[in-house]
Amino acid sequence: MSTSTAALLAGLVLLFPLAGSALCGLLGPVLGRRFVNLAGTLSIAGAFAVTLVIFVEVLGAAAGHQSVTATLWNWLNLGSGNLNVSVSVTVDQLSVLMLLVITGVGLLIHVYSVGYMEHDDGVARFFSYMNFFIFSMALLVLAANLVILIIGWAAVALSSYLLIGFWYERRSAVLAARKAMITQVIGDVALVIAAFLLFVNLTPACPPGVHCAVIRSGHLYTLSLPQIFAHAGSLGTGTPLITLICILLAIAAFAKSAQFPLHTWLPDAMEGPTPVSALIHAATMVTAGVYLIARFHALFDLAPIAAGMVACVGMGTAVMAGFIALTQQDIKRVIAYSTMSQIGLMIFAVGIGAYAAGMYQFLLHAFFKALLFLAAGNVIHAVHDEQDIREMGGIDARMRVTAWSFLVGSLALAGFLFAGMFSKEDLLGFGLLNGPGAPALYIVGIAVNVLTGLYAFRLYGTTFRGEPRSEAARNAHEARAVMLWPVVILAGLSAVAGWALQWPVSFGPHLINAFLNPVFTAPGSGPLAKAPGTWPGVIGFLIGVTCSLIGIGVAIRIWWRRDLDPSRLLARPGLRLLPRLSFNKLYFDEIYDALLVRPTRAVARALRRVGEPVMDSWIKGVSGVATDFSSAFRSAQTGLIRDYASYMVLFVIIFTVAVMVAAGLTR
Amino acid sequence: MLSQAMFPWILLTAAFLFTLGALGVLIRRNPLVVFMSIELMLNAVNLALVGYSSFLNSEEGQVFAFMVIVVAAAEVVVGLGLLTRVFSIGRELDVDDLDEMKR
Repeated sequence: MSTSTAALLAGLVLLFPLAGSALCGLLGPVLGRRFVNLAGTLSIAGAFAVTLVIFVEVLGAAAGHQSVTATLWNWLNLGSGNLNVSVSVTVDQLSVLMLLVITGVGLLIHVYSVGYMEHDDGVARFFSYMNFFIFSMALLVLAANLVILIIGWAAVALSSYLLIGFWYERRSAVLAARKAMITQVIGDVALVIAAFLLFVNLTPACPPGVHCAVIRSGHLYTLSLPQIFAHAGSLGTGTPLITLICILLAIAAFAKSAQFPLHTWLPDAMEGPTPVSALIHAATMVTAGVYLIARFHALFDLAPIAAGMVACVGMGTAVMAGFIALTQQDIKRVIAYSTMSQIGLMIFAVGIGAYAAGMYQFLLHAFFKALLFLAAGNVIHAVHDEQDIREMGGIDARMRVTAWSFLVGSLALAGFLFAGMFSKEDLLGFGLLNGPGAPALYIVGIAVNVLTGLYAFRLYGTTFRGEPRSEAARNAHEARAVMLWPVVILAGLSAVAGWALQWPVSFGPHLINAFLNPVFTAPGSGPLAKAPGTWPGVIGFLIGVTCSLIGIGVAIRIWWRRDLDPSRLLARPGLRLLPRLSFNKLYFDEIYDALLVRPTRAVARALRRVGEPVMDSWIKGVSGVATDFSSAFRSAQTGLIRDYASYMVLFVIIFTVAVMVAAGLTR
Repeated sequence: MLSQAMFPWILLTAAFLFTLGALGVLIRRNPLVVFMSIELMLNAVNLALVGYSSFLNSEEGQVFAFMVIVVAAAEVVVGLGLLTRVFSIGRELDVDDLDEMKR
């Protein structure tokens, strides 16, 4: 693929959703619902079509030539050796894989939204925001310049904010949106500081075989990503500087991917419409952190401490979120915590250097998680916006297609038969050999498998099986075709994708691995993570699937067939605390409130009590002097802002005319 | 990127937007709309600055535009703070009703 082709295609991918967003936002309220539905979905269909073309181009390119960086235009140019920012894009295997998910799953969810938002008056606003999200996400993954990446990064957070707070008449939605935004900004600041550090510190790396003392002089002052990666070696291995940069990047990734300790916004983000939860808070945006670390792999390869921290945080979040998901009663919140847990596994994978395994999990997770959310949306629609699973039950007989799809999604999530089985066991297999205290985190990962099986089938059993527990659940009826087809397609993808990608070489390296690894072995990157051999791989695989099955089996007995009651076990003194901890989400919101929000408020109140009288006496004194002085000019002072503004405009005009006349006279 | 021939049109657009904003400030009575009009004026200036930056092939115009954006953000923070205070003491949001500067 030539540079100009890459620029053209990438430009089209960006342009389609941006144009769709503008059309829906500006003309939508005038031209009505049908126009919005058409423009909003066709723009994403266009972007998806172009992405497919890019994918074919990348697949067909010769080895070593798949990665193309093209400059669309130069934005800021302060001369060489100074700040240069060009709007440039990188088209390679990693960005095209992300784009396929963003536009492909995005298209399905946009189609679904046509049905879901049918009775909402804000549909133009909705599609405008959704298209803008696709645009910003595409910008984020295509960016070949750190400034452009940061713009995409922040625009993604903005569209997430707008969509969480989409129903702005609801106080809880507005609060959730604000919480998400504040958490995102913590990550944004970390990313910007990392960019500053890279800009200031990067020097030319010495090419192999050249005496470095000669080469290593002067700074690069560059923000272009390919250059940063090529010269990352100059920062040294394991130095405090590279560790600090990587930790800052990791903080940015944690904020976006809802990892501990910046995870509290994701469950609240479920206040947004369900398609938003499916697209932004499950399939794409929250995986941007995984993408960031995979994209900056050249840096993380140099900072083993930071990478180890990333792996530990990822696995820790995976366990924690799985534990919390066990007792939540809101159908969307359970799926939200499972998202957090699954993304924890992806973060773990990129932390131990198994980048391709992390992206494999990202791809398959996007399918089954979007599926679970959309199916949950069908259920919520059918039971009149009830989200509490205690009010559901017995829905499988009333919504057969949705129930079967949800079952496929649950199996894929739990890691048996479908999608999740392949990607999760694959990345856990890498955990056996790589990362800090290698087998320890692997054992935790196995525990996550059990937890996943438990909460996935608790959700399925309570929602769909048994007797209906409310009038709404009894009267539930299947969703319309436009909301059913995306669910069925995603169910098909979840069922088939893992098998298809691994079939020719089962248990061995999967196709995603072969597709992505050239990115992670490009010059400048460290060695790949050690892959387990065939037999350890097979045994690890079997152990993992067995653990998933244990979780699924126990969950089926407790919440589906109901012949096992955990309450006796949980009444024991040592375990009594566990359900309370889980139900209250380990008290994170309360802890943050006590540690951050209340002290800040207290300081503000104290400052007000002390400061207000002091400041007021000053200001009143000053204003008193001014009043006395100005009493002479009183009549012109009406006190009305508009009069003052008129004086200003009048005199600006007079002076402008005077200067023009003076210039004319002196000529 | 920009052709030289476009430059007068950019300035004309900026002048038009500025006038629109100035008229908004003078005519409208809702302080929120007045704020938006002020934003329009500031952004008209931004457009002119960036246009000049492109015309003169110098980055300084863009730097100034960033400064203007920062100042505009600060101004909105102060202004909206004032407005919420005015609203919370139960006053009507009407610039002609707020004549405290006289007293």
